[in-house]
Amino acid sequence: MENQIIIALGREFGSGGHEAGQKLADRYGIKFLDHYLLQTIADEKCIDIDLLKKYDEKPKNRILSRTVSGYSNALEEHVANFQFDYIRKIADEGESFVVIGRCAEHILRGNPALISVFVLGNMDEKCKRIMDKYNLSHDEALRLMKRKDATRKSYHNYYCSGKWGDSRNYDLCINSSNLGVDGVVDIIELLVKRELSSREALL
Amino acid sequence: MTAQIIAVAIFVVMFALIVSEKIERQWVSLGCGLLMLIVVFGICMQDMEAVYETLNLKAFITGDFWYERGAGENASTGINWSTIVFIYGMMIMVEGMGVSGFFRWLCLRIAKAVKYRAVPILITFMVISFVLAMFIDSITVILFLVSVTVELAGLLGFSPIPVILAEVFCANLGGAATMCGDPPNIIIGTSLGYTFADYVLNTGLLAVISLIFTVMYFYFCFRKELATSTNTEVSKKYPEPVSAIKERGRFAISCIIFASAVILLVTHAITGLTVASIGVLIAVATILTSGKEAVKFIKKADYKTLSFFVGLFIVVGGLEKTGVLNLIADLIEGISGNDPKLMVAIILWLSAIASAFVDNIPFAATMIPVIKALAASSGVDLSVLAWTLAMGTDIGGSATPIGASANVVGISIASKNGHMIGWGKYCKYLAPATVMVILISMIGIFLRYF
Repeated sequence: MENQIIIALGREFGSGGHEAGQKLADRYGIKFLDHYLLQTIADEKCIDIDLLKKYDEKPKNRILSRTVSGYSNALEEHVANFQFDYIRKIADEGESFVVIGRCAEHILRGNPALISVFVLGNMDEKCKRIMDKYNLSHDEALRLMKRKDATRKSYHNYYCSGKWGDSRNYDLCINSSNLGVDGVVDIIELLVKRELSSREALL
Repeated sequence: MTAQIIAVAIFVVMFALIVSEKIERQWVSLGCGLLMLIVVFGICMQDMEAVYETLNLKAFITGDFWYERGAGENASTGINWSTIVFIYGMMIMVEGMGVSGFFRWLCLRIAKAVKYRAVPILITFMVISFVLAMFIDSITVILFLVSVTVELAGLLGFSPIPVILAEVFCANLGGAATMCGDPPNIIIGTSLGYTFADYVLNTGLLAVISLIFTVMYFYFCFRKELATSTNTEVSKKYPEPVSAIKERGRFAISCIIFASAVILLVTHAITGLTVASIGVLIAVATILTSGKEAVKFIKKADYKTLSFFVGLFIVVGGLEKTGVLNLIADLIEGISGNDPKLMVAIILWLSAIASAFVDNIPFAATMIPVIKALAASSGVDLSVLAWTLAMGTDIGGSATPIGASANVVGISIASKNGHMIGWGKYCKYLAPATVMVILISMIGIFLRYF
């Protein structure tokens, strides 16, 4: 357990946070939990993966949902809770992993293995990355970015006490536009090294 | 006029805040109730008498609140304490029953009786959902039924979703059959002075007729899906009903208290015991026979819901005292052109549609003074409008996933177990069933009362 690393990576859409997370997981040879974690849940619970994807990282619709004595009909909430439970479970089992979004910095708060990072970026760089990745025009990329960020923010702020992207909730906030994705990975790696050596020193 | 505008504004804000779920609903209703007392009654109307009448605390010291020989409950305005005391008593009794394993035992007993076959389970669980919901709140009924359904479906290899949908619908339908089945019925009954027997003979009859059609409807909807149940050879794995009973003594006491509650409710017009007295009696009986667990039962009662009711009654009292509800009554009367059948149709469909999307409790509480005013001005029998309102609010809630508490709880338990029920799947089966039962109710009311 003393070598367990959990990197919870929040990100703005187009910031390259997802790519950075994948690279980190590859460097350490640990699990990478992004939306593919839904596949594990789908297999475990025998649920159609497309149904889970439909409600993944989405805020619940307040008009179309209701809560009664702690029970909710919002499927977005159930999908979120499936993922939170799974993340908590593997964290408790001592596994190391990189997790993208999913309020991980909040739900794993207090776990000594947790390193929480938020990756942001400048508007122009984010737009360019989205245009290249999804083959969109500048305006389309801008609209998509705004919509995705609004959804993530709303989803995050519904389940967490801290606000999405608020630097006080993370160990580190990095602007990927200044450093590039590899630079982001290097900085996080440095942080992980420092964390591991301070743990060793304590032992 | 100012008082009316402010009263409506408070009511609208309360509804919006309840729907938004940003603040817990009991704080919303209590806060809005307090505003109604201070701003509308205190500042605008400067009427302290209205405050006392709405708080209705004197009800507790009147004999009629506890015992009323040969008549129904006292009709009164403001906080309906009879409803609150009765629901509190039922909450404590149900806590005791849940702990004893009564509900799980009943479900497993029935499943065993039908030899663990999927289609008979669908039909019998619909009927048991209906019957239990006649006496117990639908949330509790669904909580236990759905849990057992999911467990049995896993063992038998069928999808529990059809059975859960049917159970939810029948719980709401069963709630319509009696005075204590659904909160709107208790509120209507205690506010207008109707007895348990009045309900059984009116909404009860409509609900039973509707149940027959409902069972046929769900049978034809789901028989093929359930007929493909895959597992018929693992009988050893089936949970034995007796395994549900945690403590035989506790179980027996729970059964006796439940049976007594049913008898007292059925006979309350004869015995003169009001629903408030019955609520107190069953709560006291449960507490006295629970030993160390009594404190736990008292603590586990849903005080949030009870507080919500208190605030709600004050807000509705404000609308009533300022005359807003009379204006609504005049509007309905105007639209219907004083045609009783059209009036019934408007109340029935309006209640059903509204209850499909908003909480039916505030809606029913608001509509009671409206139907009273309508009956007084148009000459239509108040009881006919009361049964219409009860059927509309109780059944309408089945149409959408958010229309009634049972729907939300059923969907939630199913989804937690991996059986996701979205709006599309829910409405595909339950919206037509709701329309069917509302139509049956309308025809039934027309044939019987006009």
